[in-house]
Order: sequence, then structure tokens, then C-alpha cells
Amino acid sequence: MLTLLRAAAALALLALPARADVATAVEQVILPGYAGFTEAARALETAAEADCRPEALRPAYHAAFDAWMAVSHLRFGPAEEGGRSLAIAFWPDPKGSGAKTMARMIAAEDPAVEDPAAFAEVSIAARGLFALERLLYDPALTGDYACALTRATATDLARLAAEIEAGWAEFAPLLLTAGQPGNARFLTETEARQALFTQLMAGLEFTADQRLARPLGTFDRPRPERAEARLSERSLRNVQLSLAALERLARALAPDSPQTEAGFEAAGRLAAELDDPALARVGDVQGRLKVEILQQRIHALRDTVTTDVGAALGVSTGFNAADGD
Amino acid sequence: MKNRLLASLLSATALCAQPLLAAEPAEVVGTYADIAAATYADSLSTAKALQSAVDMLIAMPGEDTLQAAKTAWLAARVPYQQSEVFRFGNPIVDDWEGKVNAWPLDEGLIDYVDASYGGATEENEFAALNVVATPKFTLSGSEIDATEITPALIGETLHEADGIESNVASGYHAVEFMLWGQDLNGTGPGAGARPYTDYLTGDGCTNGHCDRRAAYLKAATDLLVSDLDYMAKAWAEGGEARAAVTADPAAGLSAMLTGMGSLSYGEQAGERMKLGLMLNDPEEEHDCFSDNTHNSHYYDGLGVQNVYLGSYTRPDGSVVSGPSLSELVAAKDATLDETLKAELAASVEALGAIKAKAESGTAYDQMLAAGNAEGEALIMGAVDALVTQTASIERAVTALGLNGIAFEGSDSLDNPNAVFQ
Repeated sequence: MLTLLRAAAALALLALPARADVATAVEQVILPGYAGFTEAARALETAAEADCRPEALRPAYHAAFDAWMAVSHLRFGPAEEGGRSLAIAFWPDPKGSGAKTMARMIAAEDPAVEDPAAFAEVSIAARGLFALERLLYDPALTGDYACALTRATATDLARLAAEIEAGWAEFAPLLLTAGQPGNARFLTETEARQALFTQLMAGLEFTADQRLARPLGTFDRPRPERAEARLSERSLRNVQLSLAALERLARALAPDSPQTEAGFEAAGRLAAELDDPALARVGDVQGRLKVEILQQRIHALRDTVTTDVGAALGVSTGFNAADGD
Repeated sequence: MKNRLLASLLSATALCAQPLLAAEPAEVVGTYADIAAATYADSLSTAKALQSAVDMLIAMPGEDTLQAAKTAWLAARVPYQQSEVFRFGNPIVDDWEGKVNAWPLDEGLIDYVDASYGGATEENEFAALNVVATPKFTLSGSEIDATEITPALIGETLHEADGIESNVASGYHAVEFMLWGQDLNGTGPGAGARPYTDYLTGDGCTNGHCDRRAAYLKAATDLLVSDLDYMAKAWAEGGEARAAVTADPAAGLSAMLTGMGSLSYGEQAGERMKLGLMLNDPEEEHDCFSDNTHNSHYYDGLGVQNVYLGSYTRPDGSVVSGPSLSELVAAKDATLDETLKAELAASVEALGAIKAKAESGTAYDQMLAAGNAEGEALIMGAVDALVTQTASIERAVTALGLNGIAFEGSDSLDNPNAVFQ
């Protein structure tokens, strides 16, 4: 059934006029993705106002995180301005800045929680989905101040989501009018295609080289404690949702790419078979092997997408936010 | 045969259409290699001056010898930071760079730290090992004898111990820590204030183990010199790094632009500047012990401009220059060249404004403080300038027809069957 739907979707895309790649990606994938995140973040804020207890708020937290995974790889435009995407999801955090900053805030009962404008100035390490995860899953964080912090964090997330969505109302037309007179951001259609293609490639690399590589560590020294969102046991779920989101973007950009589709399908299947929600089994040989195979599959997929989607769009990867070390 | 004839006709036409004195790609990558060679040679000679100053400090610990060593360290950073643009796009440099310029570090691995530093962390059980005070310890199941502190111990055993990147035992920042000590002023004024008595032997020794501390400083400095010597040779005539960029000029041009764009955007604007600002963390500054971050950022930016303009000014004031990337881009798209030159000048100016502010008494870590609007504006001004120039660097890649020229081999390109595995 799913395959049929996929085939139908592919046919629908094929029927679109040529050069619809950027428009399809923006209108059918990116904008709905951000709308979904805004909605989920708003629902989280409402839920936190109603009841800030962790057990009550966890479903709304997961829904918001799920919605974020649909757009988390888009590290350009409004999500990158003001560092909003980092403020929403600051990970990895190799120095443990998040836990340290939150411990300081809690010890001092930092009054920033009372004022959304002041809270917006708090270190990104102590904001966003990962701060909320600690508040909802670390049993040490309880009490009235933790409740106020939970509410402030949810409100801040809803604000960030709304700002990004509002920003895209301005940014989307720039992508859609690439190459037209007066568009100084994208001088050619190719630049708009390259910008989207770069997000796709960087997203694949982030999942393989951070989400999977960090917990894998080395054979002698696996690092399960470094898995993303392990407290709320969403490490594997984030990998799966990220792959699904990247697949939607790839399909929008280059609908007729059977090798890319096969690659995503294979990676998705391997991830679904993992049955290790927090990637905690990277320490035992069997568990580790499965994660390594998935990682190799995504590396191969990255190469397929380079030749397949890259060639269809006539672009190669541009510079991206993850180019640093 | 026919195709070949057509191709040569086409390329002849293309050449005729260009200005007579247009730079050739081979000459441009030659200039690039010459600038790299000079930059690393200067990094090496200034590191040797640092080595002499360190020897003096250890032989005669005092305010003046400690200050002289610090001054030599600061001077050594000037050419080295201008070399960072060679890192991205040149795998030889990128693979080596972690030994000499790794950052940030859990400095408690090396020497004593303040109580506020805390101990071992969940991420790093050796964050507070303190090798200076600990001649023998267990590391990842092996007994380590650190009775004698040597360059080999630092480079092969301690550096990235336990596979953790923040276990930085070697390079500029390890030496910086040994000279300045921790900066305990947070986002307030002041740098690290290690007393020279940390290197006194006998009764005057402060904080214990002065002989081992001196041995560490000496070994780390010697290792830095030998690592830089390796890279200076790699770019000299006949060196492997030079050969890698000159063998195929198109790939060399791609490496040049990759270095410029990756350093400008992901590394400097993102990782080093914007992230630090958003974390409001005083340790998120590149040269955090010495409060030299303003210079570190400024010379990074200058290095990007050097590569584009094909010109590098050495510490003695002499200039290494030649046919430039700028000329090559101008021949294809004069407007783009003018834009990029103006943008590079603007980012150097914006980084210069941070440098000027720091030199007038407000250190970079103070600019990072939450609520410091002026500091934030200065830093974001440079971030925005670096992001802006990245778009033009990307356009230069397209203008020169370098899209799709991957410098590092990708599996599928080298081995088409890899995608089916």
C-alpha cells in the first residue's frame, strides 16, 4: 500500500512542469513542515501552562520533537538567523554546557523564567528541546522553579517556531523568484537549487556522522552516553524521522531518482529493524554491528544522492553550517 | 579524434576571448602554494623563537622571562592563524591540524585547575587527571608511566586520550595554558594569571611539581616546533602538500575556494563566533587563557583574503605574491571579483573593529557576556560579513566552472559500484 502511494506521489510529481523542483520542495515540503512545528510547539506551550508535571507534558514534548525533525536539517534562512535552530536543538553538547547552565539557573532561581524577553537571552545550552528533555526526564529536576523553567522553555520554543515560520513568509519568495531581477539573495535558479541540495547533503551527514557516530565511538570505546536525546529514548526515532524528512526533500527536488529512493528505503528498513531506541547497545558486538551497517548505508546513500539528485539539479554541495570541525 | 579537435578549437576560442595577461590556473595554484610555504615557514620560525623563550623561562624563572615567553607565543600566533585557511580543502593539513591547534581543551588533564573547574565529567573521566602532579596512572586499561614527560608521551599517549577530543595535550593552546594558566575572570576583565613561581625549582615552587611542569612546557613546545617543521616541509618545493594542489590546477583552485568558504562560514562565523555568543560562555573563545581571541579571529580573516588576493605579508614586512585567484575570477566575471574583494575587505575591517576594541581594554570574553549589546553587535557584524562573503565565494566556484570537482574522492565517483553495496 505504501509503495502504491509512493508510486502515485512520484507520478504526481512527474506530471509537474519541468523546473518545479524548488517550488515543490518549498511549497509541499518545507512550508508545511514549519507549519507543523509551529502548531506542535504552540500545543506544547498550552499543555505546559495547563500542567507542567513531566508525566503530563511528555506526549506534547514528543509531538513537538517529532515535528522539529521534519525541518531540523534546514540550516539556512530564518532558522539560521539569530541562531534559532541551535536555540531549538543544541546538540551535540560535548562540554555538558546545557546541564551546567541549567544547574546554575536552578540554584540561583534565575528570574529570567518570569520574562520571555529575558529568557530569550539565556544561553542556548539551557533552552530548547534538550533543556526540556532534562526537565521532563531527569528526576533530579523537580519543584516550583523547575515548573516555571519548563513553562518558560515551552513558551520560548513556541516563539522561536513562530518566528521561523514568519521569516519563511519572506524567505520562500526569494527561493521561488531565484534569478529574477531584484533578487539579490539567489542570483540564479541554480543557486536556489544548490541551497536546498546543500541542506539535503548536510542532513545526511549529520545523521551518519553525529547521530550515529557519536554513540558508536570506537570499537574499544563505544559511547552510548553520547546518543542524541537518550534520556527520552528518542535517539533512533530521530534518525528515522530525519531520514524520512530528507527523503521527502530529495523526492521533491528530483522526483525521478530510483537509486536515491532505493537507498532511502534500504536505510529506513535497517533503522526500523534496529529495535534499540536509545542506541544503548552500541557496546555489544551484535548491537554495534547493526548501527555500523546503518551508518555505512547512509554514507553510501550520500554518494548516491550526490550523483543522482545532484546531477538532476545540476549542482554540487555548497558551503554549510556544519563545515567547521 | 574529431571530438578532440573540436575541444581544442573551443578552448582556443575561449582563450582568445580572455584578456591577454589573464592569470593561468597553474600559476594561481603556484602562488597559493608559495603563500602556504611562507606562512608555515613563518609559523615555524616564530615557534622556534617561542622555544628559545621557553628555555629561558625554565632556566631562569622570573616575571621578565615569563613575559618574554608570552610575547613570543603571541607573535607565533600571527602567521599561524593566517595558515588556517589552508586547512579545509587540504586533507594533509586537516589531518594534522588537531595536533597543533586543537581547542577547546579540558586543561585539568595537564595541570592543576581551580576548584570551580570541577572534576571528571560524564564525557571525560580524565578532565582533571593533572599529569603534572601524576607520574603514573591508568588510561583506558593501560598503566601509563609518565615519570618522564616527553614529546612522545604528549603526542602519542596523552593527546586525545581515551578518544576524547577535549583531551588536548599538545599544540598552541596547551602551551598557552602552561604560560597563562586558567582565566578565572569569566566574562569580566583579565586573562589567566599563572605566576612565574610555578616554574621555580626548590622552596619557592608554587602549586607543586614545578620540575614536571617545566618538563611539560618544554616537551609541548618542542613537539609544536617539530609538528610545524613537518608542515613547512610539506609545502616547500617537492613537498607533498604542494604537489597535491599543483598536480591538478582545477582541483587546486577547488581546494583554495573550499578553504576560504569553509573557514569563513561553518568554522569561523558559526563554530567560533556565533556559537560562543549564543552560549555566553567565556570559554567559547579561541585563545581563552591569554585573551588573544581577537587576534586569532582577525588573522584567520586576513588569511582568507591572502588566498584570494594572492598576497601574504610576512612578519618582517616582506611580501610574497603572484598571479591571483582574484585575477582569474575577474577574467570570468569582473563584477563578482569586485564584490568579493569588497566583501573580504569588509570582513577584515569588521574583525579589525573587534581587535581594536580588545586592544582598547575590552577583551573578547567580555564581549560575549549576556546583555553586552555593544560586544554582541561587534561580533555579529563580523559574523554577518563572513556569511556574506561565503555566498560570493560559492559564486566564484561556479564562475570558474569548479562545481562537481570534488577534491576528496567520494566513494561513488571513485567506485561506481559502491552505491549498490
